[in-house]
Amino acid sequence: MSELEHDEVSRETPESDQIASPSRRTFLKGVAGAGAAVSLISKGAWANGEIGFWAKDLPNDKLTEMFRTIVRIRWHERTMVDKMITDPKYRGYNHFYAGQEAVATGVCAALNNKGPFDQLDLVYSTHRPTGHAIAKGVDMKKMAAENDFRATGLNGGYAGEMHLSDKSCGFIGADGMIGPGHVIATGSAFAFRARGSKQVSVVFGGDGTYATPHFHAALNNAALLQLPFIYVLENNLYHQYAHYSYSCPMKDIADAARTYRIPGVVVDGQDVFQVYNAAKTAVDRARAGEGPTLIEAKTYRYYNHWGAPGAEAGQLGAFGYDPLAISSFRPEREVRAWMQRDPVDICRNTLINWGVLTRAQADEIEAAAKKEAIEAFAWADQQPFCKPEDGLKNVFVEGVVPARQFG
Amino acid sequence: MAKKSWMYAVLEAVQYEMRQDKNMIWIFELTPPVASTPGLPVINLEKEFGRKRVVNTGIDENWMASCVLGAGLAGSKAVTYIPYQGNCMCFQVIQNHAGKLRSMTGGVASMPIVFLLEMTGQTPGFAGQHSDYEIDTYYAHIPGVKTVVPSTPTDAKGMMAAAIRDPNPVCYLYPAGLREMMEDVPNEQFTTPLDKAAVRTTGSDITIVGSGGGMPEVLKATEALQKQGMKVEAIDLRSLKPMDTETLVKSVQKTKHLLTVDQSYYTLCPGAEVIARVAENVRGARFKRVAFPDAPPPASPEMFLWMRPNADHIVAAAKKLVG
Repeated sequence: MSELEHDEVSRETPESDQIASPSRRTFLKGVAGAGAAVSLISKGAWANGEIGFWAKDLPNDKLTEMFRTIVRIRWHERTMVDKMITDPKYRGYNHFYAGQEAVATGVCAALNNKGPFDQLDLVYSTHRPTGHAIAKGVDMKKMAAENDFRATGLNGGYAGEMHLSDKSCGFIGADGMIGPGHVIATGSAFAFRARGSKQVSVVFGGDGTYATPHFHAALNNAALLQLPFIYVLENNLYHQYAHYSYSCPMKDIADAARTYRIPGVVVDGQDVFQVYNAAKTAVDRARAGEGPTLIEAKTYRYYNHWGAPGAEAGQLGAFGYDPLAISSFRPEREVRAWMQRDPVDICRNTLINWGVLTRAQADEIEAAAKKEAIEAFAWADQQPFCKPEDGLKNVFVEGVVPARQFG
Repeated sequence: MAKKSWMYAVLEAVQYEMRQDKNMIWIFELTPPVASTPGLPVINLEKEFGRKRVVNTGIDENWMASCVLGAGLAGSKAVTYIPYQGNCMCFQVIQNHAGKLRSMTGGVASMPIVFLLEMTGQTPGFAGQHSDYEIDTYYAHIPGVKTVVPSTPTDAKGMMAAAIRDPNPVCYLYPAGLREMMEDVPNEQFTTPLDKAAVRTTGSDITIVGSGGGMPEVLKATEALQKQGMKVEAIDLRSLKPMDTETLVKSVQKTKHLLTVDQSYYTLCPGAEVIARVAENVRGARFKRVAFPDAPPPASPEMFLWMRPNADHIVAAAKKLVG
């Protein structure tokens, strides 16, 4: 199953021919029958084979910024893994995003991430949030401090990784639950439509979300109400410790879009420009009042579901047996095969081929990203711990609740 | 008799029942029905009974709970293991369907099913959504389902066997922090009643009542207080619904002091119900509640560990109450 999955993705790479795969053709035939309302799907889907559909027209500084974001996420994740492995004082519980960087980067590059709150596009994230957060514009230092539960962290030590949020850049936040965030995100989209705003609401979710009742609730209502809502489904093949074939009868989860008569796009999640193209198309549609889009990005995480089992300091990726994945763990060959199509390399090589960056410039950007990540975690280490009694704050807007633990 | 972990003891009970009843099913996500313990065979329900009866599902706790309810209505015994992240996702189907169907069918429906609901609250850092313990209050409030919360591997086994054999839906709460707890547990199948509290120590000065994940701290505090000369009667509730009022009342009639300990939020915590029942039946007693404040659990260990009731809190509260 997984090998086939990889082949499927390979067909959509720039190296391969431009002919859609058999399943893709079936998919297009299917959506063509769905009527005029979905005519955009085929346009968008064909454009996926063309790497520069939108991205090629971007100015050099924007493209460079996308590369910078990818390597910032990569080095943030690698530094965090090393921290977890080597520093016994580090207290964070982390789900690593390495391997999926192109998805967060490509999507957020198509969004409005700066300015007053009522003009920001909103992002709802997952339990694997750090990549989305960096791409949306969250401060890396403060996030590192929050992940280690410091008083000066992004959320004052209340959140930890799975509840990170930053209103100032429209990062509504991480969510430890699978499903509910998607439906909530449609509520933001509903508010945008009701007040005539051009904002869009984007939710990231994994392949595991397909099985939830929330998947249907989000897409059905977004489609019925033509909401400015984008569902970015990062299919990294595993929900927690189970392959997605345990929870979804389809190979391409984007096929589900047919049911709702909305565009469903499969993109190579390792190629930031293909992700950007799909996101930009979806954002333009949403801003124009044409409704939601489901984007399925085929991707892979280089680490296990949670923590760093199988990882070694200074080495990218986790291999071998994860003691938590008793009944279904990932073959090491699968991990290594996906690492051959690395989102950092693809972005870097593309920009060098396009003449946007030289090798030396790319190296320099990456070195700066690594330095920034190391400094962020060093800064976080110096931050104060929380005051115990502050746990009684922030329950309601006003006041504190009484201590009850002493009787 | 052999040393077994909480998890091993539970799965041993389930394995026995599944061998007896070829129709019985088990639904899980995330937590594989696998356990090992030194010197005993590994238990793997998925391997032993196959994927027709034991299924690793998608992340959809509503379906998991609905599936075992439907299986029960169709006449099969069924258990689902809902991990702590999703332990309220299935609330509606338990509260509005499982809990009401016996009544709504005029006493016809029989539901030999168990909702094994994992709960955390022991681990600082998980925060908010992954750190809840409050479901003991939520599920115990529902009529028509029995809600139990064992605190030792032996009770975990006996109460699981009893829950599977019970013709009523049972919410079997599983404090995740006790997963690795080890003790000697009988190898043969046995049942532990689903309506009896356990008196862990007898004493005449004060009754301390706790349950589930809070019990290790209650027993630690009890030991400390006894060393200081206080005669403590420590009671493990075990069953939240039905609640063993008789055992509680008898104890407080003797001690005249009742301290309840909960990891659940203060308002409407199980201890509140314990105090209400005792107050209705015992004259002249004094009461105190120790519980988690009415605040979502923050991530920071400094905040969280200060807020969660521990043995020191219990000792201080007991002295204040008796002294």
